[in-house]
Amino acid sequence: MLNFNWLSGVSQEGAKMIFLGLFILIGLLVLLIPREYIFEGVPKEERHWYMNLKLWAWIVLGVIFYTYYIF
Amino acid sequence: MLAGIDLFIVIAYFGGMLLLGFYFKRFVGTSEDYFLGGRTLPFWAIGMSVVVSDIGALDFVGVSGQAYRYGISVGNFDWIGSVPAMLLAAFIFIPYFWRGGLYTIPEYLGKRYNRWVRTLASLTWILFFAVDLGVMFWASAVLLNVLMGWPVWTSILVTALVVGLYTYFGGITAVVMTDVVQLIIMFVGGFTLVALGFHSVGGWDAMVDKILNMGPEYRNHFHLMQPTDTQTPFPWTGILFGLTFVMANAYMIGNQTIVQRCLTARNEWHAKASMIFGAGLKMLIPVLVLFPGLMAIILIPGLPDGDKALPWMIKHMLPPGLVGLMFSAFFAGMMSSVDSMLNSTATLFTKDIYEPFINKKANDKHYLKVGKITTLVLLLLGVLTSPLSGLFPGIYVAMQTFLSYFQGPMFSILLLGIFWKRTTQWGGLSGLVVGIFVAFILNLFKGRFFTIEDPFLYVSWWSFVVGFVVTVIVSIFTRPYEDRNLVGLVYGLTVKKEINK
Repeated sequence: MLNFNWLSGVSQEGAKMIFLGLFILIGLLVLLIPREYIFEGVPKEERHWYMNLKLWAWIVLGVIFYTYYIF
Repeated sequence: MLAGIDLFIVIAYFGGMLLLGFYFKRFVGTSEDYFLGGRTLPFWAIGMSVVVSDIGALDFVGVSGQAYRYGISVGNFDWIGSVPAMLLAAFIFIPYFWRGGLYTIPEYLGKRYNRWVRTLASLTWILFFAVDLGVMFWASAVLLNVLMGWPVWTSILVTALVVGLYTYFGGITAVVMTDVVQLIIMFVGGFTLVALGFHSVGGWDAMVDKILNMGPEYRNHFHLMQPTDTQTPFPWTGILFGLTFVMANAYMIGNQTIVQRCLTARNEWHAKASMIFGAGLKMLIPVLVLFPGLMAIILIPGLPDGDKALPWMIKHMLPPGLVGLMFSAFFAGMMSSVDSMLNSTATLFTKDIYEPFINKKANDKHYLKVGKITTLVLLLLGVLTSPLSGLFPGIYVAMQTFLSYFQGPMFSILLLGIFWKRTTQWGGLSGLVVGIFVAFILNLFKGRFFTIEDPFLYVSWWSFVVGFVVTVIVSIFTRPYEDRNLVGLVYGLTVKKEINK
């Protein structure tokens, strides 16, 4: 059990799908974060679209998703 | 030996770092300046510092060596082993720590649980950093020995002197701003080596074809997912459970050297942004440290020790001038890791050990002095313990082994502490102590429990599970804190309320 033998039936492709699903899940969770929380610390008049940290997070997740999709 | 131009570049690099470090001495007037940079730093500097602090001599030499032996699966550590955890840190944990005006992670644990949890966590980190410093020094000395023929102890002492000086005088501001320059140098040097390497092996496609045609033992070299029965230390189950769920989070959320940088941010947005910006940069790291190892499979097949691959490439592939640049890049990675550990350990000792236990009523200047002296003492300790890393077969795995002793249990109590208000002080203390004990036992008798050679990922996972379960069970049977004592420490009692304002 300590060696996760019970998961030995999952193929490498199957494992890849699990990881890709994890990235999608994280992306969805990021979507749920309130806008006000994202911009906390920035005065309202200084908030710009490119400072939206959700956008930053999705870009990073997109790149890592593609990397795991390829390899 | 280095050519004249290379030697000049290396000396100029050392001189530049010292000058830059000394420049920031003028901004250190209080202990908050020394440990938190006066909470004025921008996200881009912090993000770059987080990334470069996480990549050192171990990664240059060790990861390229692992890539030589096992292929790209070692890249999991910088990809899935960093990005999700950095996002979790950015959006959940870092804002808490920043709002609380904390200096250390154990300080949070002390507020959430009790002083014994804080002290145990702090002492554990101090011990780890002391050992890890030795590993860093040893790795650099091995490389310098191969490249230049310098005696090991000469290399260690020269390195310690340069890093020690600017860290001692400039505090974390000097550490972060020198890290920025060091990351740029590291990227320029590293990408140059990779570009020349690709030229030598005929490009990416040619490299893949050649390696896959070298025999069946290379069939998984370009798969991030390794089967569960792999003999490498990176089965996908270990990557998912041990690395992604535990070690990565523990490292990015519970590691003082990482989190302390984010606490220097000028506001909460900068604190969050620093981690996400760092996550973006982090994904480039495998290109620097992993690709040279793959190229070396073609260029120097059959090396008995994969850790020799990168030094060989630097020595035989780079022309004069670029050797000096790459050499500086290597130093940049190593120095950024060492200076981070020095400053963070000084912070841990001053804030978690000295201030509460040794001298509670001293003035701020006194604590600043203690922090500086601790930096010097730790430096000496790191130098003296450096030969210990020679007892382990792989440098990088050695560090992971050290980490796996306590990362899992530490993360279990951080996670429960912030998300479950029912967690009690005795639950947290029990979970941490029992979890560390279990990790120690699993490592000691790993041959009996595990089928792979280096099961540090599994050890992390199972020690996390034990720490988690023990914390929950003990918490259920002990008296919880009242809600009013947990405001600012537990998720439901702070963030949601403030968002709804």
